[in-house]
Amino acid sequence: MTEITIPPIDWRVATQLCIIFGWASVLLIIALFVPRSRIRVVGYLAIAGLVVAAGAGIPFWGGSAETFGGMLRLDTYSMMLNWLFLAAAAVVIAYSLNYLPKHGIEHGEYYVLVLFATAGMMLLAQGGDLIVLFLGLELLSLTLYVLTGFAYPRETSEESGMKYLLTGAFAGGFIVFGIALIYGATGSLNLAAIGDTLARAALAAEDRTYLYAGAALIVTGFGYKIAMAPFHMWAPDVYEGAPTPVAAFLSVGSKAAGFAALVRFLVEAMGSQWPVWAPALATLAIATLLLGNIGALIQNNVKRMLAYSSVGHAGYMLLGVLAAGAPGGMAGQRGVEAVLLYLLAYMLTNLGAFGVLIALEQRGELTWDINQFAGLWARRPLLASAMAICLLSLAGVPPTAGFWGKFYVFTAAWQAGFGWLTIIGILTAAIAAFYYVRIVVQMFTAEPSRETPAETDPALRAGLVIAIAGILVLGFMPAPAIDLVQRSVLATVGGQ
Amino acid sequence: MNTFITILFVVFAVYILVAAIMTVTVKNIVHAALWLISSFFTVGALYLLMEAEFIGVAQVLIYVGAVSILILFAIMLTRDLEGTQNRQMTPRWWIALIVPAALFGLLITPTVLTYQWQLPPPAPAGQSTPIAGAAQIGTAFVREYLLPFQVASVLLTVALIGAVVIAFEERERRRYVPTLAEKVRQQQRVRRPDPAASAMQSSETAGSET
Amino acid sequence: MTRVDIVILIVKCIVLALAATGVFAYFTLFERRLLARMQNRVGPNRAGPAGFLQPIADALKLFFKEDVTPLLADRRVYLISPAFAIVPALIIWATIPLGMWPDGRGGNWLQLAEVNVGILYLLAVTSIGVYGIAIAGWASNNKYSMLGGVRASAQVISYELALGLAVLGAVMQAQSFSTAEIVERQTLMWNVVPQFLGFVVFIIAATAEVVRAPFDLVEAEQELVGGYNTEYSSMKFALFFMSEYVKLVAMNAIAVTLFLGGWQFPGLQTLAAAATQQYGFVIGNAVLGLASLGAFLLKVMLLSFVSVWVRATLPRVRYDQLMDLGWKVLLPLSLANVVVTAVLNVFLPDSPVVTAIAGLVIGTGILLATAAIGRPGKEKRRVTLVQG
Repeated sequence: MTEITIPPIDWRVATQLCIIFGWASVLLIIALFVPRSRIRVVGYLAIAGLVVAAGAGIPFWGGSAETFGGMLRLDTYSMMLNWLFLAAAAVVIAYSLNYLPKHGIEHGEYYVLVLFATAGMMLLAQGGDLIVLFLGLELLSLTLYVLTGFAYPRETSEESGMKYLLTGAFAGGFIVFGIALIYGATGSLNLAAIGDTLARAALAAEDRTYLYAGAALIVTGFGYKIAMAPFHMWAPDVYEGAPTPVAAFLSVGSKAAGFAALVRFLVEAMGSQWPVWAPALATLAIATLLLGNIGALIQNNVKRMLAYSSVGHAGYMLLGVLAAGAPGGMAGQRGVEAVLLYLLAYMLTNLGAFGVLIALEQRGELTWDINQFAGLWARRPLLASAMAICLLSLAGVPPTAGFWGKFYVFTAAWQAGFGWLTIIGILTAAIAAFYYVRIVVQMFTAEPSRETPAETDPALRAGLVIAIAGILVLGFMPAPAIDLVQRSVLATVGGQ
Repeated sequence: MNTFITILFVVFAVYILVAAIMTVTVKNIVHAALWLISSFFTVGALYLLMEAEFIGVAQVLIYVGAVSILILFAIMLTRDLEGTQNRQMTPRWWIALIVPAALFGLLITPTVLTYQWQLPPPAPAGQSTPIAGAAQIGTAFVREYLLPFQVASVLLTVALIGAVVIAFEERERRRYVPTLAEKVRQQQRVRRPDPAASAMQSSETAGSET
Repeated sequence: MTRVDIVILIVKCIVLALAATGVFAYFTLFERRLLARMQNRVGPNRAGPAGFLQPIADALKLFFKEDVTPLLADRRVYLISPAFAIVPALIIWATIPLGMWPDGRGGNWLQLAEVNVGILYLLAVTSIGVYGIAIAGWASNNKYSMLGGVRASAQVISYELALGLAVLGAVMQAQSFSTAEIVERQTLMWNVVPQFLGFVVFIIAATAEVVRAPFDLVEAEQELVGGYNTEYSSMKFALFFMSEYVKLVAMNAIAVTLFLGGWQFPGLQTLAAAATQQYGFVIGNAVLGLASLGAFLLKVMLLSFVSVWVRATLPRVRYDQLMDLGWKVLLPLSLANVVVTAVLNVFLPDSPVVTAIAGLVIGTGILLATAAIGRPGKEKRRVTLVQG
């Protein structure tokens, strides 16, 4: 019998992942023994696990390490993103605690699946190898397909789950094919190794073709996940049909994870090819900005509008990604920071907005028509003001988190030499402001057309308070967040 | 022998492509499944041709032996098997033809132009020793590819949980929560009993007794 | 590989295919006579001495029957499915070592192909065997055939896992996927001792995999007329019939290879050595070959007898019992077997006898415990009729 020795593993790198994976597996079993009427306990336990995992990362902040032969890394960039994912998951679970029983879809597996999805996101942030990135993406996507279709007897939920599965599987195929081509061209799957190969010498013409085709396929695949135009078609339908907490999770976590991996791939592996991919990505960014924001303009369904607006926000983040790849250490670093700050602001804001939607949602009421917001201020002033703050932040009005996110992204893009892109970004932001303000106007000035009951519960309120407080704190005192973001660097960016 | 293998390769490759095209073009869905199966099978043969026996047999075992059977099973369980009345092509199918063809042309042109049509082909850059054979693959799974291996196992577990959650209908455990509209209707029914509903109820009880 | 080798290979293929067909023919006679004995009847004894020509008479009858193709059948699929059924049943024999007749160049006359993933090949071919049944059921455009086909695919998927895991135990014991190697490793002790649990699971799962009684729901006469082959007649029916029996015998041969020592038999090597000493290598090899082939066939016959016996004894299981047995009993048992085998082989790597005895004891214990805990589906189920 041959002895099999396992190479030493640096467990620090995998601590958070291990906690989430392990806790999810344990919860899966616990959920079997918790009586059905108290299944909510599983949700609380899941939040506890997320908090522990977040805390477990603190001692490792600042360092940079890798293990599993460079397949998994931990730098301040991934640590920062991990915290974002954990926070988003915790808020989403808090939102779900009452949402699920209200809609008769309470299963212990829900919380477990959210944990697994979080683990998938963390893999996307930490992966240093194309295989790991792919597996992380699949883990995330698979859980999200299930979560999207979780409100099983409801047809829209089933439909959106199916649509998401089909497009997502398609995107997964693109990514695998792209990985194969890149492996054929460079002979490696490790991002850093690919980056080295490409930086050192020019490839033969055929290999270069494979490389670009592969990179294009991978960007396409991730483009589906971050809802980048023209691969955004699924987003409105899926957001509309998915249970609202899941839609929040989709719009925040899935997008953040997609960007995390995209930045790592483009900067770390394809950094030296920036002159090639930047124009293509810039075109896509423009398309995303225009399609997302103009699409949102004509929506009367608030959930669909938020979906289109999330497409638009992907466009702003793409500006950051473009800057992140720019040669010359400073501009690139600014780009990564801009993406992170934007993600932070966007996450807080979108979670808040979806929280208000959850409070307004009733079982069987499947339209989120803009009329429902009419006169909300008169009936539920706190909810209305929360929604207003979120919408203003989404629009990027100054004393909110969204403003700093946009500001940082535009600055980074400008510094990287994308002046015209920045101008388009500002113009579309102006368009966006229109439809956000439309809802605000409805809430504050219109007469209530009909009574829409709103229910809140402590967990939902807690989640909302966290999100709103985050928006305001970030808006009025951006310094700590910017400081945190500035210290979150891709481990290899400094080296290039 | 080398030319023989080349001929075999070409035959298999062409067959795979033809079968794949048939899969997406035939209208009868069971026929499509059968074409898909034959395509999978030939891919296995292609692996065998490259002397990757383990992967070749695993391909047949997993794709032909398990995945496709499930596909066929699912198709056979659905109603309206033929689906032949559905339209296969969208009106703008020619766009879908031109774009991939152009992309493919873009991909293949530099390859054709620069490829040295001589044997043996150049070894891929930075290639480590190829992993072949069950034992080596197994060792690689617990060494170099430990993390992907573990993550893949988690992935499969999640897929299993997801399938159970979605597919398993807990009839007696799922609490039925009426919608707003149903609540309203119920209230109306209390005031004025609906003859149709009561008839249905009685037939239901009769059904459960038999 | 020279031209001669290729010709030899082709000849071997043809001989093997013919042999398998012949085995099928006489297995039917064997089964009918034996079943008759067990049911206190005589059985077919008119054609030839003791009914010896009965299979030939049957074959002639089938040849001259009218060949009917249903009008609404999917013609092409309908015609191709008997081939889908028979081909896996025949090619499965390729990697089974039927004996040990060294050809003097490191090869074996009695094994068609020695590949290093032979076991996986066997599993793969077994699993594709169900296509013939499934698509025949669909193509006939008959609801009974269809139900038979659907049942077949569900059943085979369910039992394939247990089957594969049971085989894995034997593979772990030999640390090889090669059939020849696995047989070689059983010189000292047949795998049935250390792998007793695996053997039991394999036999049950294999019976279900070839959809044979008591798991023959695919062609349950009382429910489905004839099951998937209702619409088939003449030679096409004969091909299905044949594929079933050839698969059954092949499964028994695999069981012999994996668990009962293959062609090994006590005293075989001594006999061959004596013959070699007496008459030289050629005769020695021939003696070894024929004796080992005989030993192999004897064991296969023994298992085939058990198959017939089981068919005569056990009533057909209900569908839910079938699924319960596959998923809730056999699959956990086979997983337990894999775990036990792995642990024993790691902790006691150098003491095969102790490992074997421990495996036997633990395996028997697990089996007894399972039997004691209770049969699945024992509780009375309420059958509710669905009104459509």
